Parts: sequence; C-alpha cells; structure tokens
Amino acid sequence: MPMYVLLIEDSPGDVRLTREVFRGAGRAIELAVATDGVEAMAYLRQQGAGAHRPDLILLDLNLPRMDGREVLAQIKADDNLRTIPTVILTTSEAEVDIVQSYELQANCYLSKPVQLEAFEVLVKSINDFWLTKAKLPQHKAGA
Amino acid sequence: MAANPSASARQHYEQILLDGIKDYAIFMLDPEGRVLSWNAGAARIKGYTSEEIMGRHFSCFFTEADRDRDIPGDLLRSTESSGRHDEQRTRVRKDGTHFLANLVLTAMRDPAGKLLGFSEISHDLSESKNSEARYRGLLEAAPDAMVVVNQAGDIVLLNLQAEKRFGYRRDELVGQPVKNIIPEGFAERLIADSLRSLDGALPQQIGNGIELTGRCRDGSEFPIEIMLSPLESAEGTLVTAAIRDITERKQAEEILLQKNDELRRSNAELEQFASVASHDLQEPLRMVASYTQLLARRYTGKLDADADEFIAFAVDGAARMQRLIRDLLSYSRVGSQGQAIVETSSEKALGQAIRNLRGAIDESGAVVSHDPLPVVQADETQLIQLFQNLVGNAIKYRGTGIPNVRISAARTGMTKWMFAFTDNGLGIDPQYFDKIFGMFQRLHKRDEFAGTGIGLAICKKIVERHGGNISVESQPGEGSTFRFPLTGS
Repeated sequence: MPMYVLLIEDSPGDVRLTREVFRGAGRAIELAVATDGVEAMAYLRQQGAGAHRPDLILLDLNLPRMDGREVLAQIKADDNLRTIPTVILTTSEAEVDIVQSYELQANCYLSKPVQLEAFEVLVKSINDFWLTKAKLPQHKAGA
Repeated sequence: MAANPSASARQHYEQILLDGIKDYAIFMLDPEGRVLSWNAGAARIKGYTSEEIMGRHFSCFFTEADRDRDIPGDLLRSTESSGRHDEQRTRVRKDGTHFLANLVLTAMRDPAGKLLGFSEISHDLSESKNSEARYRGLLEAAPDAMVVVNQAGDIVLLNLQAEKRFGYRRDELVGQPVKNIIPEGFAERLIADSLRSLDGALPQQIGNGIELTGRCRDGSEFPIEIMLSPLESAEGTLVTAAIRDITERKQAEEILLQKNDELRRSNAELEQFASVASHDLQEPLRMVASYTQLLARRYTGKLDADADEFIAFAVDGAARMQRLIRDLLSYSRVGSQGQAIVETSSEKALGQAIRNLRGAIDESGAVVSHDPLPVVQADETQLIQLFQNLVGNAIKYRGTGIPNVRISAARTGMTKWMFAFTDNGLGIDPQYFDKIFGMFQRLHKRDEFAGTGIGLAICKKIVERHGGNISVESQPGEGSTFRFPLTGS
C-alpha cells in the first residue's frame, strides 16, 4: 500500500527535484503537489477531484496567495487535519521562522540543504522516519 | 578762617583743595608753557614730583612725534586765541609709558586781557574711576553679544554685538525686559540666579551653557547659547549674559548627524543587501547546482566526451558560486550578527580555534604553540573565527617543512595588547599586502589552493569591529607574521 504525501511547494524545480529524490527512495510514494496555500487547503478539504488524504504533509513557508504559516495554522486548527504530521521543508534557516513554526504546532522543521547529496540524505531520512518508523494515525476515508 | 586772607594764604588753601583731587592732574603753565604749579593728581598720573617738574616745559608730557610737530606750541597758540581747548590725546608719563588723556587747556588773563598763562586739567581715561565705563569697555571687547540684566529682568547695559545681532539700537533695548530678545525661560533663570549666592552661582553658570532661542527685532529667531555670571554693583546683583549665536554650530551638528545617519543607513542597507542577495541567490543556484549534479549522475558517459566536460564545468561553477555566496554571507554576518563585546579569555578562544582545526593540524603535523594570552574585550565567537582563520591559513599555505605557528601577545599600553601570529609558511610578497585583506582576493591558482579568498577579509572586519587594524609582515619563503591589537581589561 503506497504512502500518500502532499508536497506544498511553489517552485517547479523543487517539486521535480523532490519527486526525483523520492523516486530513488525505494518505496511506493504517491506524491501530490499543491503550488500555493489556497490550493493546498482546497485539496486537504477534499474540494479537488481525486484528492486523497495524505499520510504526511511537506510544507514550504514562502508561498503565493496563502503562505505556509497560514496553511499550518489552518491545518492545526482543523479537527480533521491536525493529526496529519506536517513537516516544514524550506530554505529559511531564520530562528524566527523555526520558533514560529513550532509554535504553530509544526511536527518538524527541516531546511533544504544546498547540495544535492545532502538533499537526498534528507529526503531519505524523511522516508525512513516519517513514512517507515513512525506510527501514524489510521484514518478511514469517508468514515 | 580770616575774612580776607592774604594772597599767599589763599594760594595755600587752593593747593590743599587741588591736592585733594587725586584723579585729575591740575596745574598751571606760564605763557611759554612752563609748569608753574602741580597737584597730587598730576604727580600720581604723570609720575613727576612737584620739585622735578616745576619750571620745565609741558612738552615733556607729549609723545616724541607730537613734539617733533610742535603740537605743544600749537595747542598753546590755539588755546590763547580761543580761550579753551578740549581734546583726547596720548600722553607720556615720566617713565616713558603712554596713556590716553582727556585734557582741557584754559587761557588765563588778567582783567586787562593780558595773558597770564594756562591751566591744564587732565585725567587718565584708561583708569576711569567709573566702573561702569570700565565694564562697558570690557563688554565692547567681547566677541559675543553681551547684555547686563537687573533682577527685574530688564536690560541695563548691552554691547555693540548685541545691537547688531538682535537688530536693535541701544536705546531701544535699555530698560526693556530681556524676554523681548530671549523669550523662553530666561527670566526664571535669572530669578533663580539672584537667589543663589555669588560663590555658588559663578562656577555653576560658567560650566554649562544654556541653549535657548534669541529673537531679533524683525521677529526672526536663532539658536543661542548663554553663559550667565553674577555681577555685584551699586544697583544690587546684576547678571551678565554672554549670548553666543550658535546657528553655524547647530547647522554643522545637524549636517554631522545627518551624515552619520546616512552612513549608518547605507551600512545597514549594504549588510542587508549582502544578506538578502546571498539568501535569494541561493535559491536559483540550488536549482542549477542540483540539476547539473543530477545531469552528471545520470548522463555522464552516456552522451559524448564534450557533454561530459560541459557538465563537469557547470557542476564545478555552481559549486564554486555556492561557496562564494556562503562566504559572502559569513562576511556580512561579522557586522550584522555580531554578539556583545565582553571580557573574553583569548587563550580559551585560541584553544577552541585549535580544536576546530584538529583535522588540518593532525593531517599536516603542524605545531601550534602560544604564550600565556590575556583576557580581552571581544565577541568570543568572532575571536575564535579570527584565530581559526589565521592558524588555518598558516597551515594551508605551508612551506616544505612541518608547519609551525607561534601565537604571542605583548602589552603595548595599560589595557592594550598586540597579538602576533607567526608562521614558517610560504610567505607573501610585500606588494600583495593590501590585496590579501580584500574580499575574494587570492594569490594562488584555484588548483593550488581551495577557497574563495574571504578568510583574511573576515579577519580584517573582525579586527576592525574590535577597534583595531590588522597588518602583515612577510617575505616570500620566510613565513608571515599577522599583527592586530585588542583591548585588555
């Protein structure tokens, strides 16, 4: 059974790169992509066609229309969504962003490494931890 | 007293009267100008005793220049024809010194009109008994506008500078409230002043100028600084106010503040620019670097030799740019993210720098030794970085032998220390001394030594942030010594 991951990221280069790296992770991962906050919330609230409730959300902070902080706040304020682990994956290393993200109940904060190898290691560890070792709440769709 | 005293007795009484007048020289001359009588005032002012001067010609009271032009004779002839001559003239005392005299010559005639001689009444203007007049002279000599104010806050005296600066004629200000020319707070100050003792008031007022606004006759205002000092007088305690027009100083101060502000802003902008540029450049660069690496990984050996080479250059270029941006960022952080400068053990900081360089030291077999090092005023993180860059450079640019780095600190003042990092490395040609501290300046080809050339630029910036300058002494092949000062405690 594949794991479902929602990547909320506006840069097509990053989307493709993440997809490439997940492809090499050696397990079946269904990667859905939302390119801004509004699209992401619509997807999560099952407003889009073919939406599948994700097992993990990877969220960039700087997004057009509704930024990542607002998306995070809405997810954690939503009874249906707040149990989905939400991992911040961003280029920012600013202390203020890290603190604010955890205050908004982010489950983890990761900054994107500059080097491709390092990014591969990071994605692999996301896969190893969040999608393999961590026990995630089971959610029965439509239940 | 006799009803009709003899002529000689009358002359005697007159002399007693005349001698009572000490501030005026009063004496008689015969028709030719020879001294006939002499009072005590004349003796005091001119310096001759009665015995010395009697019978001598009065031209000895004149300057040599006046005598050459026969001014004494002219004066007598003029007085003889007009009856009285009144003038101010420089006179000469017995000791040869000059003074400005106010003098009145009067011709004396008998009832028949025959000339009997002359009288001279003169006094020394410079020693005027009138202290107000003396004070007035002092006021006029002052470069600032000066006004003297009584306890009611009215102006009693002022100088020419005050007239000019405030645009009033003297008679328009005397007797008027000082508030007319200095509107705010000044009268209150004066009242407080008059309550204070003379002894207490003086030092206090002299010490601090009070900054106020002056108002001219035409209503225009200008910034002033006032010094007050109390003045005891017959009319009670007066206050002398020296009023300095500080328009120019204010303007200069404002310009300086403005320039300072601009400089601070431009510095802040520059730091922000460097930081933002570095962060924002990272994003697209990460794309270039990641995808060229991905290309290299998937397609090296699958296209042709040219493609492999092109991809390799692209990968290398992107990697180098990443290092440049990373270094630019750490350079800009020296200014923008510095910690407080506090008492720091430079020996501990060196210890940390050496631990951070453990890999390079072990690999090269370098010997790093140091004197006991002082506690200094420093940002610890930056001090470690400074030491690490210098020791790291000494190992990196080593000669053929085992690298040897010696760190010492010599006291150069009460709280000043000069640090020296001496190595036995490659050394530097003196023509490059300035260049090596510049950003991204390198003396070697990239394939000889890695690195962007930011290390010494960061060292320079750190030392400057600690209030000093870094310098180098070196010769190629003879090692280098880097020196910089730090403040101890």
